[in-house]
Amino acid sequence: MTSASANASKNTLTGSIKVGDTIPPFQREGTLQHWNRYAGVNYEFAGHHMDDEIGRHEGFPSAIGMAPLILAYLHGMLRNWGGEDARVVKVAMELRRPFLRGRTLIASGKVSGTREEDGELLVDLEVWADDDQGTRLVGGTAVMALAL
Amino acid sequence: MIPGKDGSLPRDFRHNAEKGEAMSDTYITPEMRAAVGREYRWFTSYPIDASDIRRWAIAVYYPEQAPPQYWDEEQARKTRWGGMVAPEEFNPFAWMSAEPRASLGVEAARPWPELYLGVTPPETRANILAGLEVEHTKVRMRPGDVIRSATTLAGYRERQGRMGLMLFTTSEERWTNQHGELVRTGRMTLIRYR
Repeated sequence: MTSASANASKNTLTGSIKVGDTIPPFQREGTLQHWNRYAGVNYEFAGHHMDDEIGRHEGFPSAIGMAPLILAYLHGMLRNWGGEDARVVKVAMELRRPFLRGRTLIASGKVSGTREEDGELLVDLEVWADDDQGTRLVGGTAVMALAL
Repeated sequence: MIPGKDGSLPRDFRHNAEKGEAMSDTYITPEMRAAVGREYRWFTSYPIDASDIRRWAIAVYYPEQAPPQYWDEEQARKTRWGGMVAPEEFNPFAWMSAEPRASLGVEAARPWPELYLGVTPPETRANILAGLEVEHTKVRMRPGDVIRSATTLAGYRERQGRMGLMLFTTSEERWTNQHGELVRTGRMTLIRYR
């Protein structure tokens, strides 16, 4: 995408956002292929992220995904929606249930407010991630800044 | 080993709580209370490399291709940022910090602040991450940047829950770059219980 087309899409987005809008979900499978890549960049090698047996030993049904990876997925969802010139201002998440290996995480968001500040449109959102069985894994809030 | 990062309680601990084991009145000692507000940990990163950013983005977006502004310098120059920047959640301290030379593997096993503050930690056997909050300024992390983090014990609170008396410990983190500009602040809340 060129800068011009980025601006065009950005302006289209800022002009159309309203409270209650949902943003495109960000979906990722919970596999060791995914988690080990993240382990490699974030130095997260706890056994319960890599080995079902260790996960079970600790009381979980399987290996479990990393909380910072879920936080990164929420950031990814926001960036995919906002485009390359947007920036993530804030993400707060409360952990509720583990992301189990074999499940699929589906991150979602809904606009809860907008305001202009310092040349940017700040968009408040409710954000959450469920698994493919409908279990809420995390809930939280976010703020995204879109250039005006 | 007790889960430390993923927010759910191991079966064994649920069972113990259901048995109604005796709980203390408080975990928070005067020594712990006096430590609130103190900085207890800091790191200085090695200079961020463009390939650190590429690898981070590839891992986070896998199996989709990462957005080109994280791996294509030419594309990155066309964005509002005028060059390659790291995804906001990028961690420049992974694997090893320049100062002190400690790995995050050691960190993850001992995440509570008392150990750094010379304060006796409460006797708990479970430690889980309850929440993460990050706030990013307009200052982005770029290749060549050196990031310094400083972590402060923000406070303690307690609450009775299904697991009995639970201790909530919140720490706050500030990241600045080599120019002294604030890049990011964060809050992490850990729950501990017997």
